[in-house]
Amino acid sequence: MIANLYQPINGEIVEIIDESPTIKSFVIVPQSAFSFATGQFVELTLPGEGEAPFTPSSSPTVTEKMEITIMKAGRVTERLHNCAKGQPIGIRGPYGNGYPIDEFVGKHVYIVGGGVGLAPIRSLFLTLVDRIGDFKSVVCRFGARTPADFIYKDALLGPWQKLDGVNIKLTVDQANGDWSGNVGVVTTILNPKDVDIANAVAVVCGPPIMMKFATVNLLEYGFDPKTVYLSMEKNMSCGVGKCGHCMLGKYYVCKDGPVFTYDQVCKYPKIWE
Amino acid sequence: MERAFISRLKPFLDAVAEKMDLYVPRKVEGHYVCERYEPGANDAVELNAIRACTPAKEFLFPLRELAAVFPEAVEPKEVKPFAVFGLKACDLRSMEILDKVFTEKEFEDPFYIARRQAMFVIASDCSEPGESCFCNILDGQPYAESGFDLNVSQVEDGYIIAGGSAQGKSFLAAHAALFGDVPDALLAERQRRRDEVRNQLEKANVDFELRAPVQEIVERGYESDVFDACAATCVECQACTRVCPTCHCFYLYDTAQTDYFAKMKMWDSCMRIGYAAVAGGGNPRKLLGDRLRHRLMHKFAYFLERYGVDMCVGCGRCVDAEAGDVDIRVVLKRLSDELTGKGKAVANKTK
Repeated sequence: MIANLYQPINGEIVEIIDESPTIKSFVIVPQSAFSFATGQFVELTLPGEGEAPFTPSSSPTVTEKMEITIMKAGRVTERLHNCAKGQPIGIRGPYGNGYPIDEFVGKHVYIVGGGVGLAPIRSLFLTLVDRIGDFKSVVCRFGARTPADFIYKDALLGPWQKLDGVNIKLTVDQANGDWSGNVGVVTTILNPKDVDIANAVAVVCGPPIMMKFATVNLLEYGFDPKTVYLSMEKNMSCGVGKCGHCMLGKYYVCKDGPVFTYDQVCKYPKIWE
Repeated sequence: MERAFISRLKPFLDAVAEKMDLYVPRKVEGHYVCERYEPGANDAVELNAIRACTPAKEFLFPLRELAAVFPEAVEPKEVKPFAVFGLKACDLRSMEILDKVFTEKEFEDPFYIARRQAMFVIASDCSEPGESCFCNILDGQPYAESGFDLNVSQVEDGYIIAGGSAQGKSFLAAHAALFGDVPDALLAERQRRRDEVRNQLEKANVDFELRAPVQEIVERGYESDVFDACAATCVECQACTRVCPTCHCFYLYDTAQTDYFAKMKMWDSCMRIGYAAVAGGGNPRKLLGDRLRHRLMHKFAYFLERYGVDMCVGCGRCVDAEAGDVDIRVVLKRLSDELTGKGKAVANKTK
């Protein structure tokens, strides 16, 4: 009998962390060990309610549980936000290609992220940090609407800043409280001198409008379109390149992505919509 | 046994129905639909001149089906062998296209595969092309040469039944008492009839002939105004994709039953406005013209690139079903004319 690719494995929400007014992280324990590569995504089923795609934000080296950071954005995510610890959950996947870490080896990794886009980036960041010696540097430029909207604040403002080989700058669209950092959209903290572009790759993940302008800047700085890696947000449903919802030109984002180089997708119109 | 002759359909259909459920065509208001064959009840079956108005995919990939159960997974139901009589060459091509999607290695759909394996395919030659048939434009023909278990061709005094698979041939051998021999003269008559229908098709579609490979036509017409112009009358009924035998987009949704949760799989349509929308509010194909472009690009460029075949068999069901007068033959023809310079006046007029 062929395995049923639509059947989720069972899991449970064991912990819920408030990250921002609209974002929570859910620690999920699958019934059996669950491996994924960083940047791959899973389909989470809230039984009886619906299913939606998310990229785990935890390190792929941890297989007995995974963390998924979810912004309240639609019907399923709103129901998930109303869940409590102990909620049974279904997990299908992992799906897609993930980040091609081996292609980053020996290079600067320039990561531009915003909002809940920091979720996949966290998993990538933890993966890179695990083998930081393999990369020339890991340079992060992250933005959020307000200081309160930053997710993973504790790590971001503390221990991550102190890691060897890592350089992090943050910005907010609107400052409040005791924010003393940069104010402005994320492109205001991008600088072509941040890394040696000829020996760098860029990773961009965040709201589409942010990705659009960050990509424009990166290309202007001289990044080759083949070295700009984008996490595309589409309506991934089946996860296996059949149902058609996530098609981006000829690609099934669920199967051929969700990580694409700008070079792969730039010929299609409205990629940011 | 390679082929056999029989003068009436009924004994043949009865023999099939003895072994398995059999679905046969019935004419309803000018169209054919499929219904279950009941010996003694609806056994005055006539050979359908063209494909049924419902697509063959219904037998393999039903409108709605149970895809998964939570929290206790259940094995997919076993599918009993069944036969479908009167499938046409375009239907067989459509099933080969669906096979590419649902039997793809490492991504096999167990529900589709179970039904496909249980299906006994009895094809038949088209006897008179329908108004919307245009398989010849896409390298099709009004009779099948492979992809069937049995194929039925009407001749003057009866029917030639040809075996196409081991299962089909052994059916003929097992029921040899029902059949007569097929002399060469009958085969020649079959060929004459086939050629005649093909000629009729070619004549009927002369206005829709394309002047370049269809992939090139849609790819080079990507920026064309033709998509917006042709979509102007579309009422978003989505019938084109529902009746299309190759369209296979589906929607997964979850429901709560009294004692379990179910994940259902249901046909969807890329012509629906919310089809590609994401939770954050983005929607890359808000406009009907963009959705029509995507539908044609998928059929004639993206699918070809991925699987090596077009995703259209020229059955014309979408032309019959359209409530908004969007004729795929016309869209392709206008793009073709634009490409070859003939249709510039049309393109300019729509600007």
